[in-house]
Amino acid sequence: MTASYRLSSLCITTSIFSSHGTRQMKVRLTGFGGLSTFIRPPLHRLKSTPCALSSSVLFSSSSPPASQSHQVPLFLRVPKYATPVSDLQKWYSWASDLAASVGSTFLVSDNGPDSSLLCRELRWLLEDALQEDIDPSLIHQVGVNSAQREVNLKTGIEDLYKLWIQRIEERRPFQYIVGCEHWRDLVLCVQEGVLIPRPETEIIIDLVADVISSNRVLKEGFWADLGTGSGAIAIGTARALGGCGTVIATDLSPVAVKVASFNVQRYGLQGVVEVREGSWFEPLKDVQGKLAGLVSNPPYIPSENIPGLQAEVGRHEPKLALDGGVDGMDHLLHLCQGAASMLRTGGFFALETNGEKQSKLILDYMEKEHRGTFYNAKAVPDFAGVLRFVTAFRV
Amino acid sequence: MGIQLLSRSVLSVVGVLKNSRTQVAPSLCPYSLKATWGGNHIEKTWSFLWKMRNNHLGITSASCPNEQTATSISSYLDLTDEELMRQCEMGTFKTSGPGGQHRNKRESAVRLKHLPTGIVAQASEDRSQHKNRASALSRLRTLLALKVRNIVELDAYSPPPELLQILPAKSTLRGPEFGNQIGPNNPKFNVGMQALLDLIYAVEGSVSDAAKMLGLSTGALSRLILSDDSLRMAVNELRISKGFKLLK
Repeated sequence: MTASYRLSSLCITTSIFSSHGTRQMKVRLTGFGGLSTFIRPPLHRLKSTPCALSSSVLFSSSSPPASQSHQVPLFLRVPKYATPVSDLQKWYSWASDLAASVGSTFLVSDNGPDSSLLCRELRWLLEDALQEDIDPSLIHQVGVNSAQREVNLKTGIEDLYKLWIQRIEERRPFQYIVGCEHWRDLVLCVQEGVLIPRPETEIIIDLVADVISSNRVLKEGFWADLGTGSGAIAIGTARALGGCGTVIATDLSPVAVKVASFNVQRYGLQGVVEVREGSWFEPLKDVQGKLAGLVSNPPYIPSENIPGLQAEVGRHEPKLALDGGVDGMDHLLHLCQGAASMLRTGGFFALETNGEKQSKLILDYMEKEHRGTFYNAKAVPDFAGVLRFVTAFRV
Repeated sequence: MGIQLLSRSVLSVVGVLKNSRTQVAPSLCPYSLKATWGGNHIEKTWSFLWKMRNNHLGITSASCPNEQTATSISSYLDLTDEELMRQCEMGTFKTSGPGGQHRNKRESAVRLKHLPTGIVAQASEDRSQHKNRASALSRLRTLLALKVRNIVELDAYSPPPELLQILPAKSTLRGPEFGNQIGPNNPKFNVGMQALLDLIYAVEGSVSDAAKMLGLSTGALSRLILSDDSLRMAVNELRISKGFKLLK
């Protein structure tokens, strides 16, 4: 549901979702035409209808009804809001001051962003909000001529005020504010209810590319991305396969299924990536023992660490995609076990983990519980040197 | 005839040089070098070799125990992105905490260290780590062009084609086959810039001497040098050390 509130002479439309459910939200519009107003929150809008995407037929050519059910990210909207440059400059200067007022308070309280990171995000917000042919540096140009000019924005200036307040006061993640995340060479749409893909996870695609570069059988086979979220790994994998194989992306969350389907469509991969709704291997019965590859970034944060997470993550991202049970291993072990029966001979799998401890536990588990099932099992570091991934091949 | 360079680590072995004219500026050189010179085996550091060059001493040969992995250092700029990446250690900036799903900080900065030369390039301006890696790599190519020096034989010098491409059309050595002048924004500029710096180092910073070798007036070569900030700074750094006045 989207709710509209009349605020002075401005109509503000807002949609807030929190992983704690619907909460009372207070938004103070500081420095905004001298207003100091409180608006009531809308009910959250993500009680979505099941996705109509066919989940039984590979190579489904039917288009998901994505345009009806996912939020359109800012950068894809039509630049139809004519705005005087001086108004935009006023907003930008207000938003910079708000970002500067944060200092290092978020950093100290929960390792959140400091002012300099927030200012960088502000520049990116401006980039996404401006029509494409306008140079964002106009924000710093002074003089009567440029200030009187009008530019077209992809949302109203009042919405920009509201969004930046959400960013600072609610700690709503920047990626949900603009509705997208830049990941590898992709721009993926994201929204509340879908995990924002992390830079660390980009490496999984390099691992896949390495494996298929020397193995034609794997390159042409069925791949699965379990718990696909925004579809990042599935889309990255499909592009690495270069039109040869097929990727099945699964997710338990209907929102994720919709968002992933939209991203798949945006990259023209409807014939290569099929998105199915369901838990882990449950929607994959038809390819049991046939998978050439299995990749996943499952929830792996130990439950006890969830309350202490950075506010952007803990308050706004779906717990379903984060909480890995008591020691964070619940889903990792389940996937490891499933890989034994799902993969074909010589099949490859790669999992993202919380780091060295979990990676070692998985390697131990494979050695003890699945002796002789996998070979070449190893932990692989991310760019920060953390042993972030486990990869192995099915005997 | 050739010189081969050995590094301390296998990853950073560099190898046979073309026309014995490749060198790395001594300040960048973590390498030891084995060579035969006038019949004697020597094992020396780069700075020694650099001195020998300035004394016009020739190196006749050198040995390298690991020729399989050897790469000519003159060819760093000829490597594909993947090959160049393999010579690099990539780090993201230090992050505190466990990272991964715990974190939302949009720290997509990338730092590349080119192991054979120790040159570091970084990029943080883009929203994707992937794209920052590409920017860092292209920055690394510029730095390699600026900092890796090849020895130039001044007797019978003729400018290589990659250098002719970046010269203005009025150069008397530049035929019409080279097409339009390549400017600093073209990725091919780096290779030409490297060859130009090699020449300017060989003539010890004298722009008028280099201009003669390139069939240009001193003024025209100065303008070319001033057209790119990093090129201008590299030339001026050399000129200060040689007692010339700065190009402005």
